[in-house]
Amino acid sequence: MFLLDGAVTGRRQVARGMFVISIEAPEIAASVGAGQFVNLGWSPGPLLRRPFSVYRTDGDRIEIVLKAVGEGTSQLLAMGVGDRLSCLGPLGHGFELPAGLKSVVLISGGLGVAPMPLAARRATALGTRVTWVHGARTSDELCLESDGHEVIWATDDGSKGYAGTAVDAAPDAELVLACGPNRMLAAVADRWPDAMVAVETYMGCGTGVCLGCAVPLTRGGYDRACKEGPVYRAADIEWSSLPSHLNYAVPA
Amino acid sequence: MVVAAVPSELRGACVSVDLSASVGNVKLRGPVLAASGTFGYGTEVPLLDRRALAGMVSKGIFVRARDGTAPPRIAETPSGMLNAIGLQGPGVDALIRDYAPKWAEWDFPVFVNINGESAAEYGELAARLDGVPGVAGFEINISCPNVEQGGLYFGNDPRSAAAVTEAVRKRTRLPVWVKLTPMVSDIGVIARAVEAAGADALCAINTFVGMSMDLNSYQPRLSFRTGGLSGPAIRPLAVHLAHQAARAVRIPVIGVGGIARAEDALEFLVAGCAAVQVGTATFANPRAILDVSDGIASFLEAKGFKSLADLPRYLPRD
Repeated sequence: MFLLDGAVTGRRQVARGMFVISIEAPEIAASVGAGQFVNLGWSPGPLLRRPFSVYRTDGDRIEIVLKAVGEGTSQLLAMGVGDRLSCLGPLGHGFELPAGLKSVVLISGGLGVAPMPLAARRATALGTRVTWVHGARTSDELCLESDGHEVIWATDDGSKGYAGTAVDAAPDAELVLACGPNRMLAAVADRWPDAMVAVETYMGCGTGVCLGCAVPLTRGGYDRACKEGPVYRAADIEWSSLPSHLNYAVPA
Repeated sequence: MVVAAVPSELRGACVSVDLSASVGNVKLRGPVLAASGTFGYGTEVPLLDRRALAGMVSKGIFVRARDGTAPPRIAETPSGMLNAIGLQGPGVDALIRDYAPKWAEWDFPVFVNINGESAAEYGELAARLDGVPGVAGFEINISCPNVEQGGLYFGNDPRSAAAVTEAVRKRTRLPVWVKLTPMVSDIGVIARAVEAAGADALCAINTFVGMSMDLNSYQPRLSFRTGGLSGPAIRPLAVHLAHQAARAVRIPVIGVGGIARAEDALEFLVAGCAAVQVGTATFANPRAILDVSDGIASFLEAKGFKSLADLPRYLPRD
């Protein structure tokens, strides 16, 4: 885990209202795994840091993907090249891709695209065939960056690709990795109990101390999205007790 | 989010200033402790150079393990955060087995924040932990509902607060600190009651009870409905209440509430506190305790003081 100040090096739009910000963070870029996240702070800014999955790495840079859903994300999107961010990471327990796997299906919905490029890159490096299914409500909300991987598109309104959810569009595979709104992940859990899913929660410290990011477990009790998570076996989560509709998941 | 208040070239440079502090008989190498609930059991906190840490107070513990409350457990508010974690914890047996042995090897004291549903439960915890290597003393969280008294909070009633303090005092010779709740009409009354019951020091204050509504679901933002408000939003309230408590008693008061920078801690110290605790600030800045401690040293040096003891205090007695 590193705590470093890094400059914003760029921003690009990847879908309607959805942007990728790149940040100079060499130590984090060199060590982050798929599904891990960074907790970003800036001054002046909100009291708490804001957690983001690392979307891609590019040399010394990390990228995050975000929408303006509140004050914190609006401030981030207003930053210019050269503005500095305090980056804490890499944090959490990411996707584990076993060697020797023939095929993996990645399922992402909306901003749930965030951990998938690193997962796809890792799977490809292991010689695992990647099928990536990405869904959104409508075509202009689809993040179309696919890094050359085969992608099945899905839209709720049928404006691009499969008409329906990414979960419905996805084929079966030896291993399913998923990220998106919690209610989408609950649907993943119904179909593939052994899928590995990255959940979203509110978060305080990001380092396992505050217990604010509690994830309810089917075996009873809670553990921490920031430490044991954010990636879980789908069937291990008590989906009925995990808030399915966080404020920041609400369309701006 | 508060970034380092002290330029890196000044960190650790102030060796000429004596930062040692005393809380009753407890001698500390500095005035800055980690507050309960924001530092876990001290084993999880990354990236902090612990030389600045004068001591820590553990996450609150009950006799038995507790799951805690359902999510969402936290909500950010202007300059603050609400939390309703529900005192999730492993119970006292696991604490003794898993954490105390580590504490015994550390070069700063660890106080255990103890909780209960009855005065007897607090007493039982003190008895179980008394003499366990690694346990330097107790911080009693009196902001718990008294189940035997219909859920009235111990800390809101001077008799209940005193009964809990006495129950702990009888079972241990270790230092007993009592963490006061701000949700009272006169903190001096509670402060005097627990002083008379044998407390060695007071911690002022715990979080304020607050609430925030989600305008999408039309429900409270926390599943528990209410939560404890911490962070800079409560600092002036906390300085006032810590000062009021300090005026009311002869035992030392440890100031806590919204400290993020050295200047914040110095306000509590000038207002009559013997030491301070830093909590929520560490979430944004894992090095907050180091920054606060070094910043106090820089301040003292810049003002020409040789030690923390020379800092002028504003403490007219009631």
